[in-house]
Amino acid sequence: MLSARFAVSAILVSAPRLARMAFSMVWIGVTLGRRVRRARRAFEKQLIAEGMSNEDAKRISTFYEELKDNIVQLSMHGVSLRNRI
Amino acid sequence: MILEEVSVMDDKEKTKKWSSERSIPEAQEVKEILSVVSSEVPALIKGLVASVFSEEAGRSMGKGAAAYYKSLKEGGLPEDVAVRMTEDYVRTFTSFGEVFKNIGHVRKHRHEENEDLRENLRKSEDDEEEEDEES
Repeated sequence: MLSARFAVSAILVSAPRLARMAFSMVWIGVTLGRRVRRARRAFEKQLIAEGMSNEDAKRISTFYEELKDNIVQLSMHGVSLRNRI
Repeated sequence: MILEEVSVMDDKEKTKKWSSERSIPEAQEVKEILSVVSSEVPALIKGLVASVFSEEAGRSMGKGAAAYYKSLKEGGLPEDVAVRMTEDYVRTFTSFGEVFKNIGHVRKHRHEENEDLRENLRKSEDDEEEEDEES
């Protein structure tokens, strides 16, 4: 009885804050692609300024996408592992 | 007998009173913890993401790679070699991501090992029980 009442009161009290946190996380995920594109463009500009060809600069800057994929994959993996445990 | 019943009732009332008093502070504690977590954790993640994936970070990383490429070219290396070496240099940043990824794999592997151990333990316990029953 105590645990059920506690659970209900804890959920009611914490729902707005959990919703806020979930929204923040989703927003970070949504804006991540835009951030990566901007960082890539700035990175390419510096390489091109030193005389590198556009194609080479673009190829080298793909590491940003890989890094993003690694981080996203890692966070997803962490969540799924926690669920399994 | 009556005294025992009275003392049991007192205990029940005490427990009930303690529970009702206790549930409110616990809910309040959860509220306080979540208020800190909900504001601090997204800010921390946002900061971490911004430190790697921002225009400023891209520019400074690009400056480092460009300086490396320039010094290789000035050293007399051919264009394709300089580009390949710059690519390798830049890939070291991605390898940090690989390290984190591998940490995840190690955790997964440990989890699987633990599952195997539990399974083996269960089997050995079942075997022991069967042996006991037979004897």
